[in-house]
Amino acid sequence: MLENEFAGLQAGTLLQIEAALTPADLEAIRVEVLGRKGTLAAVSKDMGKIAADERGRIGKLLNETKNALETALTARQTHFADAALAERLDSEWLDLTLPAPGIQPGNLHPLTRLQQEIEDLFRSLGFTVLDGFEVEDEYHNFDALNIPADHPARDMQDTFWLEGGKLLRTHTSPVQVRGMETLPLPLRMIAPGRVFRNESVDASHEHTFYQLEGMMIDRNVSVGNLIYFMKTLLGEVFGREVTVRLRPGFFPFVEPGFELDIQCLICGGPGCAVCKQSGWVELLPCGLINPKVLQLSGIDSNQWGGFAFGLGLTRLVMMRYAIGDIRLLMSGDLRFLAPSQAVHA
Amino acid sequence: MKFSLNWLREFTEVPADAALTMKLITTRTAECEGLETYGEAAASVATVISSEPVPGTKLNLAQVETERYGRKTVVCGAPNCRAGLRTAYLPIGRKTIQGIESDGMLAGSDELGINRDHIGIVELSGPLPPTDHILEIDNKSLTHRPDLWGHYGLAREVAAITGSPLVDPVDLTLLPHGPPAFEVEGHAELCPRFSALVYENVTVTPSPLWLQFRLTALGLNPINNLVDLTNYVAAELAQPMHAYDRALLHGNKLTARLAKEGEQVTALNKEVYSLTPTNLVIADKAGPVGVAGVIGGLKSAISEGTTTVVFEAANFHASSVRKTSSALKIRTDASMRFEKSQDPANTVRALARTVALMKELCPEARLVGGLIDWQVQSVEPEPVSLDGKWLNRKIGRDVPPEQVISILTSLGFQVSGIYPTLSVIVPSWRATKDVSGPDDLVEEVGRMIGYETIPPVPPAVLSTVPPDSPQRLYLRRVRHTAASQGFTEVYNYSFLSEQQATHLGFPPADLVRVLNPIAQNQNLMRSSLLPGIYANIVENRKHLASFRLFEIGREIHKRPKPALPDALPEEIQHLVLAIYGEEGALLELKRVAQCLAKGVQLRPAIGRQFEHPRRTADVLCGGMVVGRLFELHPTYLEGTNRAAVLDLDLSKLAEHEFLPSRYPAPQKYPSSAFDLSVIVRPQELVGDLTRRMQVLAGPLLEQIAYVRQYAKSDTKSVTFRFTLSSPERTLSSDEVTQVRTTIIDGMRGLGYDLTV
Repeated sequence: MLENEFAGLQAGTLLQIEAALTPADLEAIRVEVLGRKGTLAAVSKDMGKIAADERGRIGKLLNETKNALETALTARQTHFADAALAERLDSEWLDLTLPAPGIQPGNLHPLTRLQQEIEDLFRSLGFTVLDGFEVEDEYHNFDALNIPADHPARDMQDTFWLEGGKLLRTHTSPVQVRGMETLPLPLRMIAPGRVFRNESVDASHEHTFYQLEGMMIDRNVSVGNLIYFMKTLLGEVFGREVTVRLRPGFFPFVEPGFELDIQCLICGGPGCAVCKQSGWVELLPCGLINPKVLQLSGIDSNQWGGFAFGLGLTRLVMMRYAIGDIRLLMSGDLRFLAPSQAVHA
Repeated sequence: MKFSLNWLREFTEVPADAALTMKLITTRTAECEGLETYGEAAASVATVISSEPVPGTKLNLAQVETERYGRKTVVCGAPNCRAGLRTAYLPIGRKTIQGIESDGMLAGSDELGINRDHIGIVELSGPLPPTDHILEIDNKSLTHRPDLWGHYGLAREVAAITGSPLVDPVDLTLLPHGPPAFEVEGHAELCPRFSALVYENVTVTPSPLWLQFRLTALGLNPINNLVDLTNYVAAELAQPMHAYDRALLHGNKLTARLAKEGEQVTALNKEVYSLTPTNLVIADKAGPVGVAGVIGGLKSAISEGTTTVVFEAANFHASSVRKTSSALKIRTDASMRFEKSQDPANTVRALARTVALMKELCPEARLVGGLIDWQVQSVEPEPVSLDGKWLNRKIGRDVPPEQVISILTSLGFQVSGIYPTLSVIVPSWRATKDVSGPDDLVEEVGRMIGYETIPPVPPAVLSTVPPDSPQRLYLRRVRHTAASQGFTEVYNYSFLSEQQATHLGFPPADLVRVLNPIAQNQNLMRSSLLPGIYANIVENRKHLASFRLFEIGREIHKRPKPALPDALPEEIQHLVLAIYGEEGALLELKRVAQCLAKGVQLRPAIGRQFEHPRRTADVLCGGMVVGRLFELHPTYLEGTNRAAVLDLDLSKLAEHEFLPSRYPAPQKYPSSAFDLSVIVRPQELVGDLTRRMQVLAGPLLEQIAYVRQYAKSDTKSVTFRFTLSSPERTLSSDEVTQVRTTIIDGMRGLGYDLTV
């Protein structure tokens, strides 16, 4: 076979490969030319008939032709595979802005969220988190806190009374009393929980709300320590430095007693509707624990002293999440608690 | 409680900047809630030159000469508008009244804030009362300060804050000496001091305008000179008083005593009160003439005809007054003050002030006899020891010794000793309940140096993070699992109505009862979270097609009898989850149960009235019932949707550890599997079949898995896949066949039909 025949075969086959429309066409060409019974196979079978001095040259030509055709076939096959893949990928277009199927996560209650945050903060400051009873006796809710029998707080209008002289706790302070009775000194503890006051419900008053009270008892606890902890707490809760001020406030279980105000976060001090033009928002009562309260729980008030504070969790939640109506918190209304998740009827 | 800044200025210097005064009082003493200017700053004294009636009207056209605005022509409808009258003019601009132009107006005493009279224009003999600033202080912040229920007490605070001198308006030398012309008797516990004065030849007239203006500015209603005097003294010195018409009293003596059962008194407000022996009254020979410390009686009230008067200034026990006032449902300015434990030493001060004021308000009146004063011998309070160094440690900064002493002295404390060892005598007006120990003095010094001067300091002690409680951690995990499974947390009230309890079959008699509920339909404590959750479902389904919610809360249970008498009710923390949606909700909730508490099992149970009788199960954990899974009975829910509910007792669940305790190595040898189908009646439990075949399969069983079931006419076919393996070798096909045969034979022996 002559060089020009090889060249002709190669050129013709390359044209066929180029013209092939499907992988099957390609396969047919491969079988016809490169297959076991194909054109080139027939040539190599006839190699024996070729003169010995010609054999090397013809063999080389044969291999070159074979390689060239195989390369072309592979290239064309890759082309088809690429095209098929591209087509498949195109056909598999998916709108990723579609909502995901299945259940969307629910929400924790805003009170839970803030309570957990504050618990974590106080734990990192060395405070134990205590849990108590919602139903209490008079001793733990009042007497042990230096609220004597004729104190107005015991009146029917403030306290929910149950049978047998029991009551619904009006603050989480009884948990602190039980803590003082049982925990070793020095101690640091917080008591978050549900409390009850017998007052009419409106947009800013609830008979059921949440408090987080805390105390620290140690050898030398000062008003300066109290201010330090409160500033740290409020800075974390609001995520920025807050300006606080203490002013006198009266609570039987602390002496001295304070009201802690924070500088209004809305106006920053000059006065606005939120702070009633005063520049300050009343946030929490606190003070140094009255030595009588320590003594009532069997603590030597000459050796030990401490501070206590009561944080209105419900109020803080309303400030944090800009909730205008306190009643929503206990409404169980999912349009409020999980607005993005609601599937409307 | 309202305070006039002008009034305070009679006793001490008050900063001209009212807002600054407000801030100082708020940060040093008590919370100021408001500040308002009072009176008409633009008013001018005016003399009527001429006043001519306007024909066809009831109006006069008057020429007036004003002190500040010159001559004006005004229209005035007052009947007392007459030439020569000295009155007040207000420049309110030009207005046309019934066709006649009026340049400004002549003012009535109500329009000037003097009193509430609106008959005619004011008739002035002196100057117009100067305008004032009225400060409102939160009553709650005065609870512990009996002295701050009068202007003089607040003036003492202002003087201590600003360092100005304080002038006492009381001159005790004015009190008359000599034998009393009248008798009083207090009560050993409930009225430790009872003081009185008697005047004759009194004339009852309106008070001078300046005094009426003062009282009106505080929200009080001027009545006549005698009654106004008692109110004025109370507002000034915090000592409530009462004036009796001597002629209307029976006998020559007033006594503070407990009421007799059934006694009645008609009070000044014209209401009749029935009294009980817990109420202290003031009585004459004929019976009660007033409720002690609360309200006076109508019979002996001052009237225009009164000529002889008894002024009472007494001290009553705080809680007795509070109980009587709340039992009779009357709160008065007097009862509010007595509730704060007034100072017994103050009664005679009030009477001395009365003598001074009577000279101005009723100059012709004459005192009869000496001071009448009954009192229980009081015990002098022990001086309080104060260690200056200890004070500094409590406050958290050093306070200079001379400042400590000057603060205490300016507040009326008597300080002796050599710093740092001080001895402090508490003044009588602070000793009734407020100040008794050194910690109380920390407050006095602390507030006066200003809490803003105390630097925040971290405590100089080590702190470590305490170990966390497993219950708290478990609650957190449960909440986060529930939320990630699509449940939104709700908080419900702890109260139920009888109707709510009965509707779900909880007998109201079994529940803890609130004696004074906020409303009659919230009088029971929840012994289950289910009524609340049920209400959530009913409410939310009005708006939403499907939803998931959960609550963690306390069940409150009565203790079974006999329990210890002072045992508190039992509180059990529960978790309730609910899915509202289409068929399938119940098994989905079972899946969630397994997310919350791995390995829990269900055991079909008899449904309560609100539970679907065919779709209710106990939830078991470690063989113990820990809760309930059910679908709401269809009669409890409108529409075709379903509500699945899971109620778990967290106190029981928290005891379990649901995380894996060991992680075994994977099987070394390949396992073999085969399927078997059991033909059973439709209500045969897959759980039961699984357990039975598990037992039959023996130790080579690695896992038995439910594959599918399909219903035939009156049976169903349930297919299981068994996986066998051994830790020691690859199982031979004989061994596998043997296990399979054992299961088939065993099940057939139990009466089951199998397709093999």
